[in-house]
Amino acid sequence: MSTAREDCFTMEGKLALPYQYFAGLTGSRFLISLRDQKKIKGLKCNKCNKIFVPPRSTCEICFEEISGNWVDLKNSGTVTGFTIIRYEEPHQPVKPPYILALIKLDGADTPLTHIVKGVPLSKMKVGMKVKAMFAKKSTSSIMDIDHFRPVEGKPKFEMGYTYDELEVGMSASFSKTISESDVYLFAGISGDFNPMHLNEEFAKMTPFGTRIAHGALPQSLIAPVLGMKLPGLGTVALEIMARFKAPTYFGDTITATGEVVEKLEKKRWVRMALTWTNQKDELVAEGSALVIPPMPLPQQAE
Amino acid sequence: MGSKKKNRNVGIVGIGETKFSSHREDVNQPEMIHEAVKGALDDAGLSIDDIDCVVHGNMELFEMVHQPDLWHTLGTGAYGKDAYRLTTGGTTGGTLVAAADNLVASGMYDTVLAIGFEKLQEGHTTGGITNMADPLWARKLQSGALTDSAAVKVIAEFGEERARRAAMIYRIIMDKHACLNPNSHRAFGLDWDQMEDLMTSSPPLIGDLRLIHMCSQSDGACAMIFASEERAWEITDRPVWIRDHITIHREETLNLCVNYYPNETTHRFAAEKLYERNNIKDPIEYFDVFEMYDPSAWWGVDWLRDFFLLEGDEHLKLVEEKEIMINGRMPVNPSGGVIAANPIGATAMVRVAEAAKQVRGNAGPHQIPRPVNHAMASSFGGTMWTVLFMLEKELNW
Repeated sequence: MSTAREDCFTMEGKLALPYQYFAGLTGSRFLISLRDQKKIKGLKCNKCNKIFVPPRSTCEICFEEISGNWVDLKNSGTVTGFTIIRYEEPHQPVKPPYILALIKLDGADTPLTHIVKGVPLSKMKVGMKVKAMFAKKSTSSIMDIDHFRPVEGKPKFEMGYTYDELEVGMSASFSKTISESDVYLFAGISGDFNPMHLNEEFAKMTPFGTRIAHGALPQSLIAPVLGMKLPGLGTVALEIMARFKAPTYFGDTITATGEVVEKLEKKRWVRMALTWTNQKDELVAEGSALVIPPMPLPQQAE
Repeated sequence: MGSKKKNRNVGIVGIGETKFSSHREDVNQPEMIHEAVKGALDDAGLSIDDIDCVVHGNMELFEMVHQPDLWHTLGTGAYGKDAYRLTTGGTTGGTLVAAADNLVASGMYDTVLAIGFEKLQEGHTTGGITNMADPLWARKLQSGALTDSAAVKVIAEFGEERARRAAMIYRIIMDKHACLNPNSHRAFGLDWDQMEDLMTSSPPLIGDLRLIHMCSQSDGACAMIFASEERAWEITDRPVWIRDHITIHREETLNLCVNYYPNETTHRFAAEKLYERNNIKDPIEYFDVFEMYDPSAWWGVDWLRDFFLLEGDEHLKLVEEKEIMINGRMPVNPSGGVIAANPIGATAMVRVAEAAKQVRGNAGPHQIPRPVNHAMASSFGGTMWTVLFMLEKELNW
């Protein structure tokens, strides 16, 4: 039963709670070094032999004053924990989904919380080596480190998205204007010299009134999507189905789009919905594809 | 409201206060708190390992921070210890002391550290305080933290001229005290020949309450260490004993928004009950110092009558004859009081701390120039809330 009522008021209010926070001498020194030298500093407790970052002026273990014991830390470190933020709130620093990680900088004993970018969500893991990427513009805050990203060995070959990296809803497209020479070349490639495509006088007598492109020509524009974009380099196409809905005239600009609609867990294949549209947003063709996404090559396996 | 039965005696063994100021850019919140904690530990000759439990408090939302006690641990030393957070409005500092006293008296802990703090410069006091008002009937009508209710009352009873003069005498006495206290936030060096001018030239805030009458917004922290009688004697040769304390509030009448209930009775009610159960017949005769939570000069004047159970214009005479000065018959706020420094979450604790320092005899330049054996300290908050303390030099009551 709904408890909503029309005869009861809700008082809308908004409280302004502006505030400042004094970083203090210790916190300020850390921020100044980030801003001016792009250096991350920590404070060391000589008694406990621990290096803290972010810095704190007293040792949290022995309560001794340590604010003079600055040490330089490396801008690289190891992820000791992470989570993936998926819900969206106005206060978030970047648009979800994003990775928030605990990063123990090389030389420090305590982890620093920050954003990790440059790694697919499903590839994120504890133990990853990351490095700080500094913001182009300083805000004199912890956001002077824009984010951390993986310290990666350069892969031998570029790869598309693997099955694990693909998520339902991901999409990609490719657009191209179909010219007369495209149609003549395609006729040569396929051996299809149908006068519908090559003889203007013949074509004038057809319901289209002029020459049209081979149906398979716009259809073929899905190949660069699947093979080069999504899933991308290394993809094997198992099946491509298409139903033609409208002709493609010379000079039309066709956009082929693929969207992941299903992940077939058992086979680790992916089903994609396909559409082809022209510059007038008319549906030229629609269909589906079944693909094997690229598999990690032996030299790239971890 | 019978006699307060205390399981065991509790002594104040350590006191730490920061310098109070409008700005403490040099320290963040945990660092500022640490100054007070370090001061209290050093004063007691203890290390943080000697503390069993930490009680932390300040005003809700004044720095726009939720649960500040969590990351203040770096400054409080609460890591690995039992800890509590309390927030009861302006009385917070008093409630912290009352809670610490109860925690030790009960036998739960032998040594308890209580910490009150505020960094008002970082927040928005009125923004925070407006949350207190009933969202339906009062919030959109709030004037913030200020009220001239005491001015209206005193003027109605004693006439404009006498009332305004009394408030200004009180104000100048407090400033003279503040000038003696090195921790004061505001110490102007006001003198008697400025009275007439200040009564007309100080900017009016609300009704007859002028800027000069009102307390400041301050940054600062106070820390105090409380120990059981046995432990207290191990720590120091001059513990100050908490004889009794009483908490009275009328918060339950706030949401009625109509004055069915007189709202200034908590101070007098608390004083009556406290004296009754401790057999104090003449408080002015008995007490050697009173540290009062006086948010404005108007309130200070008016409340003297409530706390000392005075009749007629006796309280005005105390002020007019300057008997409340540091060398007077009944010294009030030798520290300068709340008008001199008001880091709200610490303010009420500072009253108890300053009263205790007077009893110890080492308050510094503002030490009362004669023996102090019996002290009283009050807290005020939430518009109708009183915590009142009795401190003693000797365990002989």
